[in-house]
Amino acid sequence: MGEAQSVEGHRSAREREGWVTGRLVLFCLASTVITVVAGLVQVSFGEYSMTFLEAWQAVFEPSVIFNLHAWSAFLFGTDLPEMSTASIVVWTLRMPRVFVAIIAGATLAISGAIFQAVTRNELASPFVLGVSSGAGFAVLATLVVFSGLTPFLPLIAALGGTAAFVTVYSIAWKGGTSPVRLVLAGVVVNMVFQSLQQGLFFFADDLGVVQTAIAWLTGSLTGTGWEEVRIAVLPAAVAIAIALAGARQLNVLMLGESTARSLGMRVERVRFSLSAVAIVAASAAIAVAGIVSFFGLVVPHIVRNTVGGDYRRLMVGCLFAGPALMVSADVGARLALGGAQMPVGVVTGLIGGPYFLYLMRKQQSMGEL
Amino acid sequence: MSRTQQSADREQERITDDDGNAVESALVGDDLELSYPTSEETIVDCARLDIPEGAVTALVGPNGSGKSTLLKALSKHLEPNAGSVQIHGKDLDAFSRKELAREMGVLSQENDSLGSISVEDLIYHGRYPHRGFFDGVSEEDQQAVERAIELAGIDHLRESELGQLSGGQKQLAWIAMVLAQDTDVLLLDEPTTFLDIHHQFRVLETIRQLNEERGVTVAVILHDISQAARFADYLVAMCDGELYDWGPPEEVVTEQLLADVFGVEATVEYEPELQVLPKRALSNSRS
Repeated sequence: MGEAQSVEGHRSAREREGWVTGRLVLFCLASTVITVVAGLVQVSFGEYSMTFLEAWQAVFEPSVIFNLHAWSAFLFGTDLPEMSTASIVVWTLRMPRVFVAIIAGATLAISGAIFQAVTRNELASPFVLGVSSGAGFAVLATLVVFSGLTPFLPLIAALGGTAAFVTVYSIAWKGGTSPVRLVLAGVVVNMVFQSLQQGLFFFADDLGVVQTAIAWLTGSLTGTGWEEVRIAVLPAAVAIAIALAGARQLNVLMLGESTARSLGMRVERVRFSLSAVAIVAASAAIAVAGIVSFFGLVVPHIVRNTVGGDYRRLMVGCLFAGPALMVSADVGARLALGGAQMPVGVVTGLIGGPYFLYLMRKQQSMGEL
Repeated sequence: MSRTQQSADREQERITDDDGNAVESALVGDDLELSYPTSEETIVDCARLDIPEGAVTALVGPNGSGKSTLLKALSKHLEPNAGSVQIHGKDLDAFSRKELAREMGVLSQENDSLGSISVEDLIYHGRYPHRGFFDGVSEEDQQAVERAIELAGIDHLRESELGQLSGGQKQLAWIAMVLAQDTDVLLLDEPTTFLDIHHQFRVLETIRQLNEERGVTVAVILHDISQAARFADYLVAMCDGELYDWGPPEEVVTEQLLADVFGVEATVEYEPELQVLPKRALSNSRS
């Protein structure tokens, strides 16, 4: 009996560490495959014409992948070592777009998942809470007016996002807040910031800037290069690492405020710091990809429906599903209209919106998590 | 006022138990004045409240008498306007939240319904105050969780999702979570309300067992005065935000108390055991 119990104990111990379920592993694998396939399709198209095979050969060219100089050129902006034209086209013009999509997808998904737990609100996302439009305004102002500050874009975006988030929260706060109040406050703040963004167009000198600004406001990955990767990768990595480590805190937060407090959590502090992480994550994405609508809202839902509501699994799921969906959407944005490239935000909005409506119809109640 | 004064006097006398030994208080509320931030009105005004060490104390009183508010102050969920709370002689403010959570387990009245969490995962959250930010699950955590599951008798439910359980099963799962916290003091806000009679007894028996086997001090709000009278070692009767009376059930539960506090006419039988038989509501006693 005693032995049986100890065996039982060990079995349970293994399961405890193993919150990783087969379903999660499968989900992540599938997401990775989608990311790779979509990425390969993405790098096969462009002005410089090459066949699929040539493009893929260039991607898996060992002399680039295992070349430290090449990576240092990509990541730190040093001089590019010599390589074939195909390699140059694929690695300097096309691959960075895929990497930016991966970074933006992962950070937006994780940011949305954190906001949904912190506010305990299924409708929360960087967009709904005003973070996107606040960060968007800050970035736009930088691009149009203070173009010298471009390297600090994520920081500036984070400041704008924080300002908007604090505004939304203080409007919605009345001794606590409800999902509906939060969403309504978000709508108001969003409108104000969108007006400000449009107002900025009057300060733009030429039409080119306006066009870039509009593409950017709808969320576009067109023309992103290694510079964007360099800007976003560090804040993204830090935010993702903290978010993964904080998954258990989010789980406890999901038990409700008073339970979390009884368990010894300093609820306000944890909420505040994790919101900051979510803002940094969203800002990293917004700084390089613009405002990609619906993404931070919908992806956590998709992941939750597949792997369940445990944040340890949800975070990992978002980390894989976000890139897969963003890279795919970007492929869609590039190929849907044949010649002309759409901003990726148009695609995510067109697919994400209806998907979210479908979710609302399917579920009995929507709002509080 | 005379009532409060009187009960305060009685309490001074009765700091000894049946054998004449002094009873230590695990939790003491001193001169507490409580109100919620949203309103000016003082909800609880209580000169002194003792929760005796190693015993089960039931807080009873009608709706709105301030029981839950008092419990919130005792568990540092509500900052008192005046007065202080001490646990084992040490002021609550001297503890950090985590330190306090290692001393005192609290189960709120309403727990948000979480759909997809498994019972075992829920119970592991009870180990939160014992774990650091990056800590994994230790041997000790595991043992505490196994003990809690066994004590609550929900081994067969450990893999179930919380959302699929009945109200009573859910409550047992939440209680197991608080048990896993492994504290010397336990505060429970109406753990039996809305449960069927079987699960009411399951919950009460779990509490009693915990108290007897591990000497845990329990303060529990119970809705049902007759249940409280049979179950608890001590009763604290609250009325309109004040302490009406305090002591062993045989002394506290009287027909007078039921009329004054609960506004019911009732007979109380003391032999062979304490029994409360409510008869009808008194129309003039409460507005």
